Amino acid sequence: MRFHIYQVVISVISAIMIYQGVTNYIKGKNNPTLLKLLARIAVWGSMALITIFPNISNVAAKIIGIEGNINAVILIGFIFVFLMMFKLLSAIERLEQDLSIVTRNDALKRINEEEK
Amino acid sequence: MDSVEKSRIFVVIPAFNEEGAIQAVINEVCGAGYENIIVVDDGSSDGTYSKAKQAGAVALGHKINRGKGAATKTGIEAAKLLGADIIVTMDGDGQHDPNDIERLIEPIMKKECDVVLGTRLKNTKGMPWHKILANHVANFFTWYLFGLWVTDSQSGFRAYSRHAAEVINTRADRYEYDSQVIREIYIYKLKYKEIPIAVRYTEYSMGKIQKQGVMNGFKTLYKMVWSLLF
Repeated sequence: MRFHIYQVVISVISAIMIYQGVTNYIKGKNNPTLLKLLARIAVWGSMALITIFPNISNVAAKIIGIEGNINAVILIGFIFVFLMMFKLLSAIERLEQDLSIVTRNDALKRINEEEK
Repeated sequence: MDSVEKSRIFVVIPAFNEEGAIQAVINEVCGAGYENIIVVDDGSSDGTYSKAKQAGAVALGHKINRGKGAATKTGIEAAKLLGADIIVTMDGDGQHDPNDIERLIEPIMKKECDVVLGTRLKNTKGMPWHKILANHVANFFTWYLFGLWVTDSQSGFRAYSRHAAEVINTRADRYEYDSQVIREIYIYKLKYKEIPIAVRYTEYSMGKIQKQGVMNGFKTLYKMVWSLLF
């Protein structure tokens, strides 16, 4: 099996990213969660797998039912990006609401104290 | 005005950078006979808070800007804590006429309904055409998404009974708040009434950049759809 340079570069980057994710999870750095770790492994792992074994994308294409392995990879990529966007928007929305509640409680503090 | 004492009627005014108008608004509300005024300064960078305090209102301050809806909700919570039986909300730029408050609270006093919505579209005299158009669009989307047709879904001049203020609990922070209230009226089957109100579009109120523009309109619509989905 002959490796191209891009395969080596992407594999090394993927390995570093996965290693970093695992060590962060073990050390408890940057609010790690199992979900975050699994997402990182899934993204970088599949990128490395597709780079090293390009034929895997044919399997994905067959499973999805799309002709052409590149189209299947792009579709999976899009779905993943949309899922991430949705998760980010939900998180932002939640944070915004929490921020409003904290701001409101702070504004009402004076009245609450007077009521006591 | 028999069933509810005036001391239990509270006027809530959310304000953001309204230094130039807030004192006049407070004085007008006092002049109309309502002394319980709560001004919620929504993180203004000018002297809105101190001017409101000087004018004799209960001034509350958001440390950061959270939007008209969030400020209104803070004011309503404050009014509830202070023992309000009827809560009136109105804008801080002077576009609403405090003399309309009496007509606005009358149906609640008579126990005919829980919420009274001031509507600008039953008398559009003096209202810029683009505002009329924008309101019709907003009314359509409010009806389409939330199921209740009202003639002015974006009016901030409203009155709530204590019961309605307890029941309505929207999470909307910004301009979508007004439409979300309509949704909650529909969901909780609150009795409501629409009363025509006078609107005074002054150079001051029209010149403010944070008012609902086209982009804010799209943002409001996006937030309305988002709230339905999640």
